[in-house]
Amino acid sequence: MHLADGILPITICAAGYASTASLTWLSLRQINRLPDPQAGIPRASLLAAGFFVVSWIHIPIPPTSVHLMLNGLIGMLLGWYAFPAILIALFFQAVMFQHGGLLTLGVNATMIGAPAILAHLLFQRARQHGLIALHRQIATGSVSFLIGSLTLAISVLIFFGVQLFSIDQIDPQLQRTALITATLGYLPLILIEGVFAALVCTFLLRVQPALLGIPAPAPAALPTLPATPPAQEG
Amino acid sequence: MSLFLLDTYAHLQSPMHRWDARYKLIGLLAIMVAMAAVNDLRLLPPMLLLAAGCFALSRLPVRYLLSRLRYPGFFVMAVLLLMPLLAGSSVLVQVGPIAVRREGLLLALLIGARVVSILTVSMVLFGSQPFLTTVQALHALGLPALLTDMILFFYRYLSDMAAMLERMQRALWLRGFQGQRLQRTTLPTYAALAGSLLIRSYAQSERVYQAMRLRGYGSTARPRTGFAATPSDALALALALLCAAGLVVATVVL
Repeated sequence: MHLADGILPITICAAGYASTASLTWLSLRQINRLPDPQAGIPRASLLAAGFFVVSWIHIPIPPTSVHLMLNGLIGMLLGWYAFPAILIALFFQAVMFQHGGLLTLGVNATMIGAPAILAHLLFQRARQHGLIALHRQIATGSVSFLIGSLTLAISVLIFFGVQLFSIDQIDPQLQRTALITATLGYLPLILIEGVFAALVCTFLLRVQPALLGIPAPAPAALPTLPATPPAQEG
Repeated sequence: MSLFLLDTYAHLQSPMHRWDARYKLIGLLAIMVAMAAVNDLRLLPPMLLLAAGCFALSRLPVRYLLSRLRYPGFFVMAVLLLMPLLAGSSVLVQVGPIAVRREGLLLALLIGARVVSILTVSMVLFGSQPFLTTVQALHALGLPALLTDMILFFYRYLSDMAAMLERMQRALWLRGFQGQRLQRTTLPTYAALAGSLLIRSYAQSERVYQAMRLRGYGSTARPRTGFAATPSDALALALALLCAAGLVVATVVL
């Protein structure tokens, strides 16, 4: 779903960079307001590398297989570090694998990163309302499913919207039909993304809730043994 | 991990390799932007010539470029094959139901030439210097330290994460997991795999941060220095910007 270099008009690429610069500025401003912004850098970077690698997994969807975007999960777990992490991951994809592009980096980052910021805000609100908690597996799964699906749906809409309004229109009717067909083709992937996000979040809720921003429960107090009465000397 | 060896030929000696990294970033990015603005077929030969000239100056092996163009090459081939058959109204050649249309063919040529030219210049940019030098140059040009730090951590630990995933997947296969078929347990298993990898990344990041703090990370701001440009670097930048401006002006005028 990445847009390659040489396809989009340069004006769209410039607009993409402008929006990416704004979102990066916003993210950095929020990060610098955290108690220890530097502590989050290695965590966000290594988690971003983990997400990058996880997105290589082929999920078999007959008759083919798909790679997941995971931008909803990234937003839920990384918070305000999500947008810089996505920007860096896209930069690496463009430079190392020629997937996407450098000139379209702004558009791709906005397309994938902006919904991730929304995912973070929604997840944060859900956590504040107590929907994301240790004893609320179903609520956590449901919220994660909705956020994971919605995030990818927004990315898909931006992806096809950019193409619809910017690519040279020789045959607008054919182009419109092709894009609508391709958009509908993404519906199963949107559902799978939501299910995957829900499964990962419920797994983390059981194993490492700190990754979801939930403090680990205090260890249960050990039962105290009754004091043995002193032996009586007879 | 041969995919990650972007700077395999960074040790070569060529005018591109000797060019100051900051000026090279600015100059070659300007050329790439100018190439993306080209929309007239008459400018395709000078654009391709400019890309070929940059590549020749880098003295990078052709097989390096061809290996990097393989993946986007599939996309370019798809565009070249499909667009002439689907887009446009002026039929050039018709064989039964298959009609090659003039407008689609010309658009396909334009897009294909742009993609190849821009990718060639980007490969020259990143292939002619170590990746860490590129990150240093970005930092020197004003990229925030938080982003450059994240890039460096990401670059350092990407191959570790990939190796970790490979080991975990092998452990799954050895325990009988059939990942190639969609079954009831497929998604939950992959979700547990992803969750476990993320937990290990998280635990490793905590250790990395504590180790770096003990070594003074974050105590002082890093200076944006480390480069020393020469007059020939500035001249090369001026030449690159001139070529880029020429392409843009020609695009506007034609």
